[in-house]
Amino acid sequence: MIWTVLGLAALAVFVVSLALGSIAVSPLRVMQALASQSTDVIDEIVLSLRLPRALGGFAAGALLGMAGALLQVLLRNPLAEPYVLGVSGGAAAFALAAMLFSLSWWSVDVAAFTGAFLSILLVLGLARRELWRGEPQDTSPRLLLTGAVIAAGWGALITLMLAVAPENRLRGMVFWLTGDLNGVAMPWTALIALAITLVAIVPAAPQLNVLLRGDIAAEALGVRVVRLRLRVYLVASLAAAAAVTTAGTIGFIGLVVPHVLRLAFGNDQRMLLPASALAGGLAVMGADLIARTVIAPAQLPVGVITALIGVPVFLWMLLRRAP
Amino acid sequence: MNGLQVTDLTLRAGSRVLIADLTQTFAPGDMWCVAGPNGAGKTTLIAAMAGVSKTALNAISLDGKALSAWGASELARRRALMPQASHDAFSATVFDTVMLNRFPHLTGWGWESEADRAAAHAALDMLGLTEFASRDVLSLSGGERQRVALAATLCQDAPLLLLDEPLAHLDVHHQIDCLEALSGWVGSKQRSVIFSCHDLNLARRFATHALLLDGAGHAYAGLVRDVLTPERAGAAFGYPLTLIQQDGHEALVPVMRSTSPYISL
Repeated sequence: MIWTVLGLAALAVFVVSLALGSIAVSPLRVMQALASQSTDVIDEIVLSLRLPRALGGFAAGALLGMAGALLQVLLRNPLAEPYVLGVSGGAAAFALAAMLFSLSWWSVDVAAFTGAFLSILLVLGLARRELWRGEPQDTSPRLLLTGAVIAAGWGALITLMLAVAPENRLRGMVFWLTGDLNGVAMPWTALIALAITLVAIVPAAPQLNVLLRGDIAAEALGVRVVRLRLRVYLVASLAAAAAVTTAGTIGFIGLVVPHVLRLAFGNDQRMLLPASALAGGLAVMGADLIARTVIAPAQLPVGVITALIGVPVFLWMLLRRAP
Repeated sequence: MNGLQVTDLTLRAGSRVLIADLTQTFAPGDMWCVAGPNGAGKTTLIAAMAGVSKTALNAISLDGKALSAWGASELARRRALMPQASHDAFSATVFDTVMLNRFPHLTGWGWESEADRAAAHAALDMLGLTEFASRDVLSLSGGERQRVALAATLCQDAPLLLLDEPLAHLDVHHQIDCLEALSGWVGSKQRSVIFSCHDLNLARRFATHALLLDGAGHAYAGLVRDVLTPERAGAAFGYPLTLIQQDGHEALVPVMRSTSPYISL
């Protein structure tokens, strides 16, 4: 039921995203463009500019929503979000380095993913006792601290690169850091990553519910805690890496989307994980629609919109529930 | 052989030996109290008996089968563990929290059946928590949280309960209610409870057997009144105790300092 509503809303925003822009196209015409093989200018705009962008935005948002929900469970911490363990820092440091040396756009993507992957391996190595060795015990604070310190290290490198970057590259770098869907040409890798993430973790949702009660309680209920923690860490990190590679470090989605859903519908991971994917995708797609239409023809980075809308919405939901 | 069997079990904390070569059978129908001073190894022993610490899996067997040979969910349907602390980072209703312990009984896609919901209601009823079902766990007091955790453990519907300090934070009324509920639960079928507890008098009243740890590797096991005696308990806790009796009630109380042999020495 929740999924149906979110899914329909996402579909509606998807169609509107394809319709609106510098040239408005009626929804009916959008359907024709999607269905037909003709190649007039409207089809061109819809199919090769707006479609990849909307799909890429949806996939990135969905990945961030899931990654956030997963890390909040793994760390048992409501403040956890996809970037807290340094994945985005690694991606950003490498992507900015690629931009600094003005490499082509695809090598920026490759660099971003490489950086994210290195950061994942680094945390995996440093926190191996917490993640994949030893006994189930409640070790979340150490994993969180390890990741946070790594993230801080990447942050310093990023600042360093911004400080030495020539003026003409600075704008692109800041846009990347804020999260930007401009120039997404190949949404398929992110969509495939989204499908893999769903298949890899949604079947484990009942175990994740139990894991929230603590490692020892979960182990006593028959969950292989050490294995599950490693799986959650890898899936969440790779999802975040795929999202960041597609769209830069879009903020706020991974933190807020799972919380909004929790406040509205409860904390059952079986519902929450797919719902986070739908709502995260919906949010980024909608935010990008606003980002590229509100001061058209100029475009804002989508990350600005997600935070500008996300902050008041989240605060409202949080305070409404206060006694 | 039914029940929990511990054979030549040695538990350590770092280089310190907590329990040396313990061999003991915990038979169905018994209610065991594990007593001992702080740091004597009660939690370590209970975790080992539950099979969640991987150190002693082969020294402990359940129904004649070593813990290492049990499948994870099969074991979770046979024994339930209530850890000393549980986590509630996110809000959830008491009912949903209790029902999480139905995990080993879930089949298919992992959604609860009507039977699971009935078990959760029954467990809440048993501890007088019916009215708490829709409360948020984050709004509970320490004692209420403890009773919810106990209800969750009961809801798991395993014939052996391992409870780590189930009475902590409870007032005397609820301590007695919980122990009465547990005794009734044990008595009705061939089930057993092993719980750690600091209140020796409640243990003497409700437990059938006791295992007394002294933290130096020694353990005394047997009928509760043979083990939790003033002499043995006093020696294990390092403070002299005496048994006083009045109108058919008995209580172990600490000896007044002025008459303490430790002072006179």
